[in-house]
Amino acid sequence: MTVVLSAEKLVKTFPGVRALDEATLTLTAGSVHALLGENGAGKSTLIKILTGVYRPDGGQLRLPGPDGELRAVQLGNPQDAQRAGIGVVHQERNLIPAFSVAENICLQHLPRRAGLLDRAALRTEARRCLDLLDLDLDPDLPVSRLSVAQLQLVEIAKALSAESTVLLLDEPTASLTNDEADRLYGIVRRLSERGHATVLVSHKLEEVFAVADTVTVLRDGRSVAEAEPLADHSREEIVDLMVGRAYQQVHLAARTVAADVEPALALDAVATTAGHHDVSLAVRPGEIVGLYGLVGAGRSELAKALLGLDQITAGEVRVHGRPARIRDVGDALHRYRIGYVTENRKEEGLFLDQTVARNTAVTVWRRLARLGLVRDRAERSLVDEYADRLGIRLASPDQHAGQLSGGNQQKVSLAKWLAADCDVLIIDEPTVGIDVRTKAAFHELIAGLAARGMAILLISSDLPEMVTLADRIAVMREFAIVGELDNDHDYDRMSQSVIRFIHDGQGVVA
Amino acid sequence: MKTETAPEAPAVPPAAEPRPPARALPVWANPRLGLLIVIAVLVVLFSSLTPAFLDPRLTLAPLQADISVYVVVGLAQLAVLSLGHMNMAVGRMAALSTFAMGLAYDRLGVPLLVGLLVGLAVGAGIGALAGLLIAKTGVNSFVVTLALDFGLLGLVTILYTWATGGVSFAVQPSGLSALRFDTFADYCMGEVCGPRIPLVVPIAVAAALGVGLLFRHARLGREILMTGSNTVAAELSGIPTHRRVVAAHALSGLLAALAGFLLAANNGAFSANIGESFLLPSFLAPVLGGTLLAGGAVSVLGTALGATLTQVIYKGLNLLQFSLEELKLYIGLVLLAALSLDRLRAVLAERRAVSSS
Repeated sequence: MTVVLSAEKLVKTFPGVRALDEATLTLTAGSVHALLGENGAGKSTLIKILTGVYRPDGGQLRLPGPDGELRAVQLGNPQDAQRAGIGVVHQERNLIPAFSVAENICLQHLPRRAGLLDRAALRTEARRCLDLLDLDLDPDLPVSRLSVAQLQLVEIAKALSAESTVLLLDEPTASLTNDEADRLYGIVRRLSERGHATVLVSHKLEEVFAVADTVTVLRDGRSVAEAEPLADHSREEIVDLMVGRAYQQVHLAARTVAADVEPALALDAVATTAGHHDVSLAVRPGEIVGLYGLVGAGRSELAKALLGLDQITAGEVRVHGRPARIRDVGDALHRYRIGYVTENRKEEGLFLDQTVARNTAVTVWRRLARLGLVRDRAERSLVDEYADRLGIRLASPDQHAGQLSGGNQQKVSLAKWLAADCDVLIIDEPTVGIDVRTKAAFHELIAGLAARGMAILLISSDLPEMVTLADRIAVMREFAIVGELDNDHDYDRMSQSVIRFIHDGQGVVA
Repeated sequence: MKTETAPEAPAVPPAAEPRPPARALPVWANPRLGLLIVIAVLVVLFSSLTPAFLDPRLTLAPLQADISVYVVVGLAQLAVLSLGHMNMAVGRMAALSTFAMGLAYDRLGVPLLVGLLVGLAVGAGIGALAGLLIAKTGVNSFVVTLALDFGLLGLVTILYTWATGGVSFAVQPSGLSALRFDTFADYCMGEVCGPRIPLVVPIAVAAALGVGLLFRHARLGREILMTGSNTVAAELSGIPTHRRVVAAHALSGLLAALAGFLLAANNGAFSANIGESFLLPSFLAPVLGGTLLAGGAVSVLGTALGATLTQVIYKGLNLLQFSLEELKLYIGLVLLAALSLDRLRAVLAERRAVSSS
């Protein structure tokens, strides 16, 4: 097997943190190589070194020269990495919306003739990259008109345009539906048949086992498994390697829900300007009701309509039995004590350039203020309380939210609703992009909130998560509820029933 | 999946993520300290080149009065920079407000304070109008206030012609000349007289303290900053973002009006050209002081130091008999140099504080 990239004993330190501690990664041509590890294990740092963003403090990176011999190289910047044949698709989109598909694909090396853009060559080159992916897409279309899945594929085409032999995919399916993810992985397999080496970073172990053939596991900056065949390991073994000790079960707080108690939140045949119709739901205090559906089924939109961001055109919303008219989030929060933990913590949940203290207290300044002034001490003691309760790891309450790890950010994004003393919480995709251990901690946390009497509407596309947490599962398809199931916590039976609802969708109006 | 709920199973301990490095910025990364040093160096330089720079009556007192005006001008811009917005009409809002003051003194003969309050109300009102247009239409603040500036330019000229037949009110409300000429040294209790500080200075200091308190401790100010930091997240956290945008722009208009009043007091006249020189300094002071154009963070102390620096340079070069055109050239160069240095400092600080994977 030809080695196409060999990173040996890479070391990278940041103030106070040894992000990589002699990490090793070896890639062979034609392999799909999973790079696994918890948040903070060093995956992103390793990828940033491979793509020339960071320079390692120790160790070396070797790539094959023209004669096929491995030679030590220095990647001074991202352009160097591209020239060396390493293409990357980051978690965040890096396309320019107003530019065409072809222009985006060839952005780094636009073909020129007499100093001007050579449109014909541009189109040919873009076509070539799209063909590699068997992607039938008009190269002249502006990327602002593409779907999320198409954008992802254009990103890959862009990474391939530089004749890359190594393709790094960082959480490529985070925003894709299952079908789209399958299609993407079909393409990854075809690329590997053509000799490309792919590095796959993903938190979704199901996907990793379905697609990858070899695996490197990072823990605390070290490689605890180096390029081992994935078939030799079970899922549990991989998780053990990642968390570094025997696998532990979650302990969910026991709950009882009185059936005769008035629902904290009830929707009765609700229709909205966002396009929902006939949505009926009830969440009682102490209950977790799951709202399951595919991406685009209208679940987050329902949450936002409930918060007054869209209008309710028919039906009735009741909070603790009383009809509610919620005009905006302030109304939902202060009058009805309903909170919404967004799925999109970076764009909608957090103020990344503000302190954790402010991020937590933003919903309660009204309560903390005396004569319109907020006392820092009150704010700090609030943050200390919730950092403690949620296990948020902070250097100081004055740390900026953007400096926290993903799991801690998600906890801060939840903390402000707990601080606001909500008794109905709509939690949207709480564990997307969060590692196994933090995910388990989150599940315990959510169950604990319900055990203390909170009514929780849990929106998730993660079926195992639903089956773990929810008491009942409502299935949404095309902006309508197509079924509701009592959860008996038997994963196989529940998933079959849920999938049947999604695909056969009773009573769906097109 | 981990679906068991065996009660004896131990709880999952908190993730052993590496502690993110605290944001321990090095001392040189503090823009305020840098400004203070530059100001000190320039004061030493100017006073060694021309001893007249240290003349309390001819130089230092007028310098303090000028600084007072431009601190408030800077604060007027800072009020909307907090949102990541701009107020291109800051000068013309001042002009319209001082027109209202002049009219009140001239036609109604109101006391100094009442006229000031009328002007502040007009300034806040026109600012609120700008804020309302921006919040309701979603059009960029730069465009809205630029258009407003253009409209007000015409309006102010028309109003002065209508009310005075010229470009200035002749009226001198009682107390104005004291604000213009007096320092605390003119007020004595027995043998003890005050320091040689013009009477306008405490007004600017009070404005700075008020704005500082607002953005640091008041719920309103903090919610404005959060809106500037991330509007969507602010709205989803229950902050009435539209009202906060209106409030910030109203504050900007109010401070512009106050700056207009201070300048009118310094000039001794309520005239149409007030505010003409406000626009560039209004950005210069906060930006030199480390306020971000992106919104979400402001520095009132930095703004005060930024305004001081520009006025010191202005006064020094003026005493060294540079021409007006040369003054503008040098101020422009200083701004560019300061902004480049600021960017360099930010990049260096970021490299040091860069967090882990």
